[in-house]
Amino acid sequence: MSALELVNIRKRYGSVDTLKGINLSLASGEFLVLLGSSGCGKSTLLNIIAGLAEATEGDVRIGDRSVTGVHPKDRDIAMVFQSYALYPNLSVARNIGFGLEMRRVPAAERAKAVEKTAKMLQIENLLGRRPSELSGGQRQRVAIGRALVRDPKIFLFDEPLSNLDAKLRMETRTELKRLHQMLGTTIVYVTHDQIEAMTLATRIAVMRDGHIEQLASPDEIYNRPATRYVASFVGSPPMNMLDATLVDGTAQIAGSQTVIPLPSSLRSQASRKVIVGIRPENLSLALGDPSKLTIEAKVEVVELTGPELVVTSSIGNQRLTASLPPRSQVTVGSLQRFSIDADGLHVFDAVTEKRIDA
Amino acid sequence: MTNNWITTRAWFLMLPLLIVMVAIIGWPLFDTVRLSFTDAKLVGTAGNFVGFENYVRILSGPNFQRTLITTFWFAVLSVSAEMVIGVLAALLLNQQFYGRSVLRALMILPWALPTVVNATLWRLIYNPEYGALNAALTQMGIIGAYQSWLGEPGTALASLIVADCWKNFPLVALIALAALQAVPRDITAAAMVDGAGAWSRFRFVIMPYLAGPLMVALVLRTIEAFKVFDIIWVMTRGGPANSTRTLSILVYQEAFSFQRAGSGASLALIVTLLVTILAVAYAALIRKSAGVS
Ligand SMILES: Nc1ncnc2c1ncn2[C@@H]1O[C@H](COP(=O)(O)OP(=O)(O)OP(=O)(O)O)[C@@H](O)[C@H]1O
Ligand SMILES: [Mg+2]
Repeated sequence: MSALELVNIRKRYGSVDTLKGINLSLASGEFLVLLGSSGCGKSTLLNIIAGLAEATEGDVRIGDRSVTGVHPKDRDIAMVFQSYALYPNLSVARNIGFGLEMRRVPAAERAKAVEKTAKMLQIENLLGRRPSELSGGQRQRVAIGRALVRDPKIFLFDEPLSNLDAKLRMETRTELKRLHQMLGTTIVYVTHDQIEAMTLATRIAVMRDGHIEQLASPDEIYNRPATRYVASFVGSPPMNMLDATLVDGTAQIAGSQTVIPLPSSLRSQASRKVIVGIRPENLSLALGDPSKLTIEAKVEVVELTGPELVVTSSIGNQRLTASLPPRSQVTVGSLQRFSIDADGLHVFDAVTEKRIDA
Repeated sequence: MTNNWITTRAWFLMLPLLIVMVAIIGWPLFDTVRLSFTDAKLVGTAGNFVGFENYVRILSGPNFQRTLITTFWFAVLSVSAEMVIGVLAALLLNQQFYGRSVLRALMILPWALPTVVNATLWRLIYNPEYGALNAALTQMGIIGAYQSWLGEPGTALASLIVADCWKNFPLVALIALAALQAVPRDITAAAMVDGAGAWSRFRFVIMPYLAGPLMVALVLRTIEAFKVFDIIWVMTRGGPANSTRTLSILVYQEAFSFQRAGSGASLALIVTLLVTILAVAYAALIRKSAGVS
C-alpha cells in the first residue's frame, strides 16, 4: 500500500504552467525530500498535497484514497510551515493541542498527548509561554510538536529549517532524522538545501521548472545523476562540467589537447558533443602513474577550507575544481596532473543534457 | 546656551501657527466659556453675569436628560451595528472571488458621499408617499400600508440609525479589511489543516489581528456618533416630537433657534466635556490593549 500517490499533477496559474505533470508514489515510512531551486513549484506541490491549493489536473491519493476535493482537515495530514505559523495569542500548550482541540478530543487526553510530545521535543518547560516569548529554534520545535501530536498519515514540511542559524539548523536536522527513525512516519519535506536533502531523505525528488528531474535515493542522486542539472545541483563544491567531444571511446576536452579515455561501457557510443562531469572529490594528485585516467590543468587558486584543500585550475578556457587532502603540495601557476576515479566520471549528452550510459 | 537658542527658535517658528490657533480656537473657546455664565441672547443684549444658573437649569431640566438618552441609544446602536456589518463585509471582501475589487471600490461610496447627499437620499427612500422602502415592503407584503418612517416617533430614530449605518459601516470595513490582509496566510492555512472551522478560525486566528484596529475604529465612530448633527438635521431636525433630538441638535436649537447664546454655550461645553471624557477613556483602553499584545 502506498502512503501517498501523485498522479499526473498539473497546476496552472493563469497561463503559466507551474507544475507540469508530477507522478510519484511513496511507501509508508518513507522520507521524501522535494529538492529544487526557488520558484520551481515545491511549495505549490506541497500545498496541493495538503489541500491548501487545488490541482488544475491530476489526482492526489493518500492511503489509497483519492483526496481530490477533500478539505485539508480531513486528509489526515499535518504540516509544518517555514514561518512556523504559530497562533500568536495562544500558549505553547494550546498551540500544540489546537488540532486536537478542534477535533474535540477530551481535555484530559489532549493534555496527556501535548505533554508526551513536549517531552519528546524537550519543550515541557515552555508550555505556558506565548510564541512571542520563544526563540526561533523553540518556535520551530513547537511547530513540529503541533504536527507530531496528531499522529497523521503524512507529515508535510515546507522548508522548516531555513529560518534557523547554521548550528541550530544542523541540530534540528539531526533531531528530525532521529524522530523519523523513531516514529517511522511518512514525510514529504521541501527544501532547497542539498545537504538537508542528502542527509534526511530516503528518496529525493529533484525538481526543476515544475517537473521532477530525477526521483531516486540520495546515493543514486549523488553517484548516478540522471541529468546535468541534477549533477550540478547536488554536491559542494559543485561537479566540474567540461565541454567535450566523444570520439572513439574517448572524450576530447574542448579548448585543450586533453583526451580522457572513457570506460569500456561507453566505447560503443556515437560521436557527438558531450559534457564530462567530474566531482571535485573524485580528483586527486597523480603521482607518476600514467596508466590511470589523468587530466592536466594549470593551477590558479588554492583555498584551504579546513578539512580540504580546494584547488581551482584551468584546462584551456574551462574550469576544473578539485578537493584534495589539506596537506597536498600544489603550486599556484604550475601545471598539475590530476588522476580521476574511474567511477567518478559522468558523461551527459550536450543537447539533451541526459546521462549517457552503456 | 545652545539649548536655549533652539528652544527660542522653536517657539519663534511655531509663532505663526500659535497665533492662528489662538485666534480661531482659543478665543472662541474662551468666549464660549464667558458666554456660558451669562444670559446673553444671540442678537441684542450682551447679557448679564448669572453664575452657574445656565448649567443648573440644563442639567436638571428634562430636555437635556431625554436628549442624552436619545444620543446614547443612537451612538450605541449605530456604532455596534456598524462594527458588526463592517467586520462581516471585510471578511466577505477578503475572500477570493470574481469582481472583488469592483465591490471593494463600490463599498467605499456611501462613506465618500457628503453626509447631506446621503441624508437626502435616505429621505427619499423613507418618503411616506413615494419612498422606495414603502414600495418594497408593501409589494413584498410585509406591511399593509405606506408608513411615515421619519414622521412617527416610534420609527424615526431607528430609521436614522439605519441611514447612519449605511453611511459609516464602510469605514469600519475598510479598517478591518486592512487588518485582515495583515493576517499571515500560513497561519490561516495551519488552522485549516488543524481542523478549525470558520468560527474557530475567526476567533483564535483572525481576531487577535483585528482587535487593535477595530478598537481604533470603535473610538472614532463612538465619538463621532456622540456628536452627530448633520444627518439628523437634514432628515428630521430632531423631530418628530423631539424623538431624534441628540445633544448637538439641542445645542443648535438652544443657541440659534431660541437665540439663547448663554445657555447654548453652557450646553455646548457640557457636550464637549462628555466627548472629552469618552476620548480619554478610550485612549486609556487602547493603550492598555496595545500593552497586552
Ligand atoms: N498564487 C499564485 N499565483 C500565481 N503564481 C503563483 C502563485 N503561487 C505560486 N506561483 C508561482 O508558481 C511558481 C512556483 O512557486 P512555489 O511557491 O511553488 O515555488 P517554490 O519552489 O516553493 O519556491 P521557494 O523555494 O522560493 O519557496 C512561482 O513561479 C510562483 O511565482
Ligand atoms: Mg516555497
